[in-house]
Amino acid sequence: MWLPLLGLIVGIFLGLLTDIRIPEEYSNYLSIAVLAALDTLFGGIRAHMQNIYDEKVFVSGFFFNILLAASLAFLGVHLGVDLYLAAVFAFGVRLFQNIAVIRRILLTKWSTNKNKN
Amino acid sequence: MRMIKVKGKHVILSLVCLVLGFMIAFSYHFTQKEINQKNTNLTSKQWEKTIDLRNQLIELEELNRKLQKELNQKQDKVLENEKDLSKEAEAFVTLAEDAEKYRMFLGKVKVKGQGVMVQLSDGAYDPKEDNINNYLVHEYHVFKVINELYISGAAAIAINGQRLTSHSYIICNGPVITVDGIQHPAPFVITAIGEPEVLASALNLTGGVKDQLVNDNIVFSLEKKSEIILNPILGQS
Repeated sequence: MWLPLLGLIVGIFLGLLTDIRIPEEYSNYLSIAVLAALDTLFGGIRAHMQNIYDEKVFVSGFFFNILLAASLAFLGVHLGVDLYLAAVFAFGVRLFQNIAVIRRILLTKWSTNKNKN
Repeated sequence: MRMIKVKGKHVILSLVCLVLGFMIAFSYHFTQKEINQKNTNLTSKQWEKTIDLRNQLIELEELNRKLQKELNQKQDKVLENEKDLSKEAEAFVTLAEDAEKYRMFLGKVKVKGQGVMVQLSDGAYDPKEDNINNYLVHEYHVFKVINELYISGAAAIAINGQRLTSHSYIICNGPVITVDGIQHPAPFVITAIGEPEVLASALNLTGGVKDQLVNDNIVFSLEKKSEIILNPILGQS
């Protein structure tokens, strides 16, 4: 149970300590990738709560979404179309939906528990 | 078996969390740095402009320095020239003074000063003397007086108002004497500028010019003057 948390902390530390300089135009890709990762994470949490959680789907979705978002942004930059907006939009909407689902599940759980008590 | 499965699950989850944390942290870190950069550094356009202006400033300063150096050099030159000019002016002043002096000596300008006036008149007619020449003023009498005056330090001498120069000539011409081609009859008034006492005593020397002239029956009169004006010789180069 503590292992994922430990991993998160270690990851944050590594990210703060690394002093890699990346060009400014690639910062967009990074933010898209972060968004994709968050989306996948919340998707996984929601799936877990709805008991349809599949590890393979989650892990593959996590990395694949990151890569896809980054490449989409890359393509957008090179085509002169702001395709990363599409990624932001899609991931943002899904993020909100996922969080909303999680909230509702939590609420129902909480209310059923209250009723039981 | 179940434990291992759970552990594997957790390992994968922790890996995902690690990647997520890394990405979030890195992104945060990067953005923060970017913000700092934006705050501290200027944008490239401003940067270029700054560099451009700075270069211009440097150029102008260099130009200024060059011009300042040039100005200093020029000022030095001006100073030198002024010094030269002042030296030249001094030289000119002395030259002018010299020229004035020489002009005075040459009789080109009017001179004024104290001096003596000598009048030589023919002697009174003496029936005992056969030769009229014995009581006439001759040019050698005039010569004697003039020479004596010059020797005694006369600065300028004139005969009947005519200035003598260094190349004047006096010739006897019967009843008159000719000075530089101009005839002068007796009496001859010789005016000399110089120290009056010296000139007078030189002429009055016992056995000197005055006595000799008096011996030759010439009426000799000497007068000290506090101011004598001698006119320049005109019409001559």
